[in-house]
Amino acid sequence: MDVISGLQQGFGVALMPMNLFWCFLGCFLGTIVGVLPGLGPAATIAMLLPLTFGMDPASGIIMLSGIYFGAKYGGSTTSILLNIPGEASSVVTCLDGYQMARKGRGGAALGIAAIASFVAGTFGIVALTVLAPPVAGFALRFSSPEYFALMALGLSLVVVLGGDSLLKAILSLLVGLWLTSIGTDLFTSQSRYTFGAVALISGIDFMLVAIGVFAVAGVLESIHAKEETKLLPVPREMRNLLPSWAELRACRFAFLNGSVVGFIVGVLPGAGSSIASFIAYGLEKAVSRHPERFGTGVPEGVAAPEGANNADSGGALVPLLTLGLPGGGTTAILLSALVLWGVKPGPLMMQDSPQVFWGLVASLYIGNAMLLILNLPLVPLFAQILRIPLFVLFPVVLGLTIVGAYSIADSALNIVMLAGFGLLGYAMARLDFPTAPLILGFVLGDPMERAVRQALTMSQGDIAILFSRPLSATMLVCAAAVLVLSLAARFRRRPSA
Amino acid sequence: MNRRDLILGGATLAAASPILAPTARAAWQPTRPVELVAHNGPGSGPDVFARAIVTTIEQEKLSPVRFQVSNRVGGGGATAMNYVVDKRGDPGVLSVWTSLWISLPLVQAEARSTVADMTPVARLVIEPAMVVVRADSPFTTMKDLIEAARQKPGTIRQSGGSVTARDNIVRQLLMAATGTRWAFISFPAGSERIAALLGGHVELMIAEPTEAGEQIRAGKLRALAQVGEKRLAAFPDVPTLREAGMPIADVPQARGFVAPPGIPAEALAFYEDLFARLVVSPTWRKYVIDNQFEEAHLNASQTGAFFSEYQGRLRTILQEGGVKVVR
Repeated sequence: MDVISGLQQGFGVALMPMNLFWCFLGCFLGTIVGVLPGLGPAATIAMLLPLTFGMDPASGIIMLSGIYFGAKYGGSTTSILLNIPGEASSVVTCLDGYQMARKGRGGAALGIAAIASFVAGTFGIVALTVLAPPVAGFALRFSSPEYFALMALGLSLVVVLGGDSLLKAILSLLVGLWLTSIGTDLFTSQSRYTFGAVALISGIDFMLVAIGVFAVAGVLESIHAKEETKLLPVPREMRNLLPSWAELRACRFAFLNGSVVGFIVGVLPGAGSSIASFIAYGLEKAVSRHPERFGTGVPEGVAAPEGANNADSGGALVPLLTLGLPGGGTTAILLSALVLWGVKPGPLMMQDSPQVFWGLVASLYIGNAMLLILNLPLVPLFAQILRIPLFVLFPVVLGLTIVGAYSIADSALNIVMLAGFGLLGYAMARLDFPTAPLILGFVLGDPMERAVRQALTMSQGDIAILFSRPLSATMLVCAAAVLVLSLAARFRRRPSA
Repeated sequence: MNRRDLILGGATLAAASPILAPTARAAWQPTRPVELVAHNGPGSGPDVFARAIVTTIEQEKLSPVRFQVSNRVGGGGATAMNYVVDKRGDPGVLSVWTSLWISLPLVQAEARSTVADMTPVARLVIEPAMVVVRADSPFTTMKDLIEAARQKPGTIRQSGGSVTARDNIVRQLLMAATGTRWAFISFPAGSERIAALLGGHVELMIAEPTEAGEQIRAGKLRALAQVGEKRLAAFPDVPTLREAGMPIADVPQARGFVAPPGIPAEALAFYEDLFARLVVSPTWRKYVIDNQFEEAHLNASQTGAFFSEYQGRLRTILQEGGVKVVR
């Protein structure tokens, strides 16, 4: 069979000692980059690109995609331990990961994140191996009306994500939607809500909002709660530093959910991995038997988004390798790297450069295993961070967030905005407003507005285009079902409470 | 094809060509590393371009000091433009400019700095483009496309970037020249524009040859015309817009370098000379061919004239297309 012989050839390339070394180096660097907030895989790959000029294209792409996958693994570490998302794709992991750490299960959360990443990451790669060409056709059927429906499905999750008060959740969502509308409107090149500030013309960076609302606000809240003398409990025994069997069993569905959702969203060039992790988390909560415990530190709440953002990587390589279409910043740089090495990414790459294509695919299997082996032993080590007294840890956390915020655009104004978002998050927490809907609105608002305007231009203003296409109609029905079912559940709970 | 051989070949050529040391050419030369500003993040178009310049300068030993890329991101490019203007008199800073630098201040009131405030240094390349449709499209020539647009106004759809980008400007010119009308749908990423075309959700697109070339070779897309003055070597059979009977003005999408205002004349002479030697070097020639750019070097004063002429033309086109122009 084609795939088997291709993989055989691929492992022949990937298992060469030099390539194993490059794969390890990429995974290692990626993990570090993932841990550091502000420094992302896209920037790292761009900076390392000149070093790969003399390399064989297969070795080069093996190392660079190691960075890409490694960053997704590493991104969860600071989310869980410090409530600082290391990458945009790990923002959702903060919700339950940090709470697990505060309950003394930080090591377990890190372990679950690594295992979910491995399981779903491998699923994504298997799907890439066997399904790439047909799935690429699916990605092309997906256009603006379908993106609108996907974002609507994501937005419907607000009723699932919000806390006790639906009104507060919706208000929080609206703030997120407003914040994301700041900047230049793509369709008219006019500024919205920029008040003459150059720094706002490109809009507000997602990481700035997420770090402010989660990490900075979290520190302020802990200070308010006078936690300064308490240490986060960290059990000493090794087995308590890794996930228990019961915790892993609770994640069974989350592994599958994260894998499938992550891969499907990953395949779509117009939807990023933060959307994948949000949808996986929302779905996990929607079908859970104890949705009220989400946000207090449940392992599924870590496994679903972490799985999704890793399966997303495999999915995102489908349009890149089969069509030459990058789905995001990092894959765009991988594309320009391929061009630099003389490989022509596009529909013919699989035929023209099979050793690059299959060498890369095989190295992803190896890289994923390497990352698991690299990350699991680090868990007990990283978990020691939680032993640091809070009066030392909090200044360090704030320092890291400031460095991260500044390095997003080398701008001091970002630090001011970070403080603003920190205060906003703190105020919301004091007034019992959930912050997850704000983040959800910020992530989905922009692509959703774009999709609906694109769709209506396509149909010359006929709104039926949103409902008459099978894929988008199906997703809109799902969105309606999520709304109706969770609202019903909400009202059923209320009288008994 | 072996890439390493090509590089080695390039290096041998470089060693053989007699390039004079900069000291023999100019009275001024930089004594500390030169900052090369790119208005977008690592991996973006201007960043990759700036890094290619750094590589060429190093491989061809064109400068006594190093050039370092610094990414001044934000404001859709305005942050970098303001930075250059604020560095008045500093000969240690250069910045990549693209067509965006000319169009942005026209539509953004906040973008207070314009290229007219800076010292033009050089124009280096023009990025060609092609009008492409799906391979199974009923349109085989520009005439077919225009005829269809005439019969059913507004039903044909073009995917593209922002309204100030070249793809929309060319559309405006084509519509005005032929008295037709079709829709323009903005997508932020190039990959989304091509995906919309490949998926049959739009009918045409104006794409760069590097984006569309492989799709054309694979038989997925077809080029109707080239946007540019002359045919690209890689597509000798595709007519230019003018050859296809579309008499519209050329809208070159160009890239080059500017310096802060008020730098010493000797410093400008040094950089002008550096770029004049850079564009004839084998490393640069290979880069231009690999990326399917059109070599289009202009010296400092010619670049200044290009800026003012282009800005004037762009203003008129945008105004006629209904875009709000603020300057």
